[in-house]
Amino acid sequence: MGSVREYFSSIANGLGSAAKGMGVTLRHFTSEPHITVQYPRETKPIPPTYRGMHILEQDKCIDCGLCAKACPVDCIEIEAEHHGRVLEWTKFSIDYKKCIFCEFCIPPCPVDCIHMTTEFELATESPDDMVEDMLTWTGLRPQDQAKLEGKTKPKAPAAKPAAGGGGDDLRSRVAAMMAKKKAEKED
Amino acid sequence: MDILITFFAETLGMSGVWPLSFAYATCIGSLLGFVTVYAMFAIWMERKVAAHIQQRLGPMEVGGWHGWAQSPADALKLLFKEDIIPDGANKWLFWIAPAVVFCGVFAGFIAIPFAAGVQIVDINLGVFFIIAIASIEVVGVIMAGWASNSKYSLFGAVREAAQVVSYELPSATALLAPILVVGSFKLSDFNAYQAEHGWVLFANPFMWIALLCFFIASLAGCKRAPFDLPEAESELVSGFHTEYSGMRFSFFGLEEYVSMFVVSAITATLFLGGYTLPFNLLDVGNLPAPFHLIGVAVLVVKIFAVIFVQMWLRWTLPRMRVDQVMSLGYKYLLPWGLFAVAGTAIWQVWMEG
Repeated sequence: MGSVREYFSSIANGLGSAAKGMGVTLRHFTSEPHITVQYPRETKPIPPTYRGMHILEQDKCIDCGLCAKACPVDCIEIEAEHHGRVLEWTKFSIDYKKCIFCEFCIPPCPVDCIHMTTEFELATESPDDMVEDMLTWTGLRPQDQAKLEGKTKPKAPAAKPAAGGGGDDLRSRVAAMMAKKKAEKED
Repeated sequence: MDILITFFAETLGMSGVWPLSFAYATCIGSLLGFVTVYAMFAIWMERKVAAHIQQRLGPMEVGGWHGWAQSPADALKLLFKEDIIPDGANKWLFWIAPAVVFCGVFAGFIAIPFAAGVQIVDINLGVFFIIAIASIEVVGVIMAGWASNSKYSLFGAVREAAQVVSYELPSATALLAPILVVGSFKLSDFNAYQAEHGWVLFANPFMWIALLCFFIASLAGCKRAPFDLPEAESELVSGFHTEYSGMRFSFFGLEEYVSMFVVSAITATLFLGGYTLPFNLLDVGNLPAPFHLIGVAVLVVKIFAVIFVQMWLRWTLPRMRVDQVMSLGYKYLLPWGLFAVAGTAIWQVWMEG
């Protein structure tokens, strides 16, 4: 008798669980909202603390190299020639093939000039393009030149550097820089 | 069919065997076109159903509106892919297997009554003709698995061979019940009966058991989850068609959806009223020439309802084990199918006098 009861209860079990499962899937099919995002056209909100691509405030940077030293994978390369306090930039690059986005390069900076943006679309068509140049300018700007020349005079604080949008807030700078990077990418 | 023969014979003035040959060629050509379009739509639908059950969106990019062109794009891609025949494969069997599989299922279309007069051949044993001819597919599957010279393929083929008996028997048994009610194997008789008496499903309570048994067995016949043991991608890569690529591979995909259509057509015709409307609101069977095509629309709607349930079940249940399929076939479906047949027989004698 036991096996007969088992037989019929297994039928009831099977049909019941299948019906219950189909109810669940039907509920998901009809009423639950979809959770995927049509990515290139819409994105999920990115948290402000997201660790994306870096941005450098070059006019603040003093070429101390602490960020490069802090980097656990040695992906930051800095080269600049010092003329007193005026810097003649040749290189500040981050190799995104190596970068692990750990954010260790941010805290050591004594002048708070390197930041991470929320920019995450870093795909390139060739590995060589993954070494990103962080510099806004290379060499000496006219105002740096003026500063250098002014240095020969006994006392010349010179005009505050105005180019590069000096003095405006960081947020707009990041936005401008990201727009520039985007435009470069689309070229 | 008769319309086509008279068209070729009288309007175009053909004689001898030509009207018949041209009529068959027209039918088969248009059916091939229909099957291709249907299969593309069904694959798109399957992906959409699967996606929405999993709260995704499915294909959205190709072609604009909800990715409608995804399937044609995939078909085009498969057409251009390399056709690889593995080393050590039995080339001839490997080459012929997809054709055998597809032809076996496609031949089932010969007997499906889409509407009054829209049927290629109204075979006297139409029901069993479709079941029998669809079984040829199994031969093709075993050929494909054996010829591939791959252990995974062979496992898939052996599983299919083991599975075939356990579902062919219950499905044929379950179909005897509606046949007892109508008293004929001829598919057009089912439509005539149901236009007069209403759906066979409501003829007696045993019909529900027969429908359930046949539906479950037909799922196994189409090799669809939860009975997709011959493919079982998590165990056997993709079973008997592991080694296939390009167009030959797409024939196996086509075959799955075409066989879904055929078994759904049997379900719709035998249980769900065929091309007749519920309560025979409009006598579709006796409408003048162009309007009987309404019957095609009615049948296709019913078929797609059954196909939707198949897809729904596929994305609900996990795959069964081999022994579970065997015990389901022999211990549950077959006795209950026989019970439905016996019950229907007694009902027919007792209640209908």
